Amino acid sequence: MRARHLGLASCHTCNLLQRLPASGHGHCPRCHSRVRLRMANSISITWAFLITAVIAYLPANLYPVMTVVSLGNTQSDTILSGVVFLLLHGDWPLALIVFVASVMVPLLKMAALAYLLLSVQRRSPLRKAQRTRLYRIIEMVGRWSMVDIFVVALMAALVQAGNLATIIPGPGALAFASVVILTIFAAMSFDPRLIWDKGEVGHDIATSP
Amino acid sequence: MKQRERGAPFRAELTACHECDELQRIPALEAGQAARCRICQALLLRNPGGGLDRPLALFLSALILLLLANIFPFMTLEIQGQQEITTILGTSQVLYHAGMGALAVVVFLTSILAPALIISCALYVLLAIRFNVSLPAVRMALSWISHLKPWVMLDVYMLGVLVAFVKLDKMASLHIGLSLFAFIGLIILSTAAMAAFEPQLLWRRLAGKRFT
Repeated sequence: MRARHLGLASCHTCNLLQRLPASGHGHCPRCHSRVRLRMANSISITWAFLITAVIAYLPANLYPVMTVVSLGNTQSDTILSGVVFLLLHGDWPLALIVFVASVMVPLLKMAALAYLLLSVQRRSPLRKAQRTRLYRIIEMVGRWSMVDIFVVALMAALVQAGNLATIIPGPGALAFASVVILTIFAAMSFDPRLIWDKGEVGHDIATSP
Repeated sequence: MKQRERGAPFRAELTACHECDELQRIPALEAGQAARCRICQALLLRNPGGGLDRPLALFLSALILLLLANIFPFMTLEIQGQQEITTILGTSQVLYHAGMGALAVVVFLTSILAPALIISCALYVLLAIRFNVSLPAVRMALSWISHLKPWVMLDVYMLGVLVAFVKLDKMASLHIGLSLFAFIGLIILSTAAMAAFEPQLLWRRLAGKRFT
């Protein structure tokens, strides 16, 4: 039995099961958070975050994430050239981890979100459990993409204003962090319960303001 | 739960899965057990066991390590006799000075502010319940923990330290500061503390109390 059919929902913050008024939203009596049968405008908000993330992905990979100025030489690093650097220095296990975290994870996360959104919009009845698991995975691994931002910040903090070398964070870092944050917001605004809705009552609540 | 907390509403045992909306009864859980959704396998509830004292001790130790990690130098870089010392706060400061205020805020939030707030909120709630003192805004503190959890990235930061270490090792000599050890301890203890801590059980305990 689906909770929606009885007008029931669990509070997202404290998990208290409660009956909601006909409007489909109310306030939790235990923790005072907002409770909804389905998140408001989940699909369009998730699309908005996702499309913005895809747009930001271009400058994130084209602009340098950092610039090393050493004895008059200037060398700029992008996300990809950072991975190549690790590979060339023979540190292939670390290169692999960074490649997965900063190249594979953002791309797969954006593709997976698009797939989830399209399948929900088409009201696909297929592989619901697998799609829910896919959602759970992308929500969990997305944060690891932030590793490159921390690397840039640490290196810039350690090598600054010395007379021998300076490392300056580049605009690519800002764009790349935006991609990561935007995809985290996209995953947060997606309501996985929509995967299981058959598209009658709940769909109207989820897509209308 | 084996013995239901007094004052908890009867419905608390019935739940709707957050991921598939299936209405179901949460079975009684032994310490260390977890209940999963019978349709989609989402985690419904964990019973970490160990009462309030274990998370209380773990969060308290995590708080001490958090302070230590932010007081001492994190890493020191040496290029031909010239030393450059950085702290954890220094990594967001450098971004701020490079004109990337927004990025500095993100790094500060994920490496210092969110962990500090979660640890403080958890201690606040646990102390209020454990010693039954009526403190203000206990409910708010407990809900903040769930909201802040996705923004704690200490483990990702640690991977960043590893990568930065390898990259800089080629151009200069690096020394590990005292803070780095405290930071590793902080990651281990805060993970253990969160594992010993189930907000849902605390919400049930709050149900019968007059806390705000």
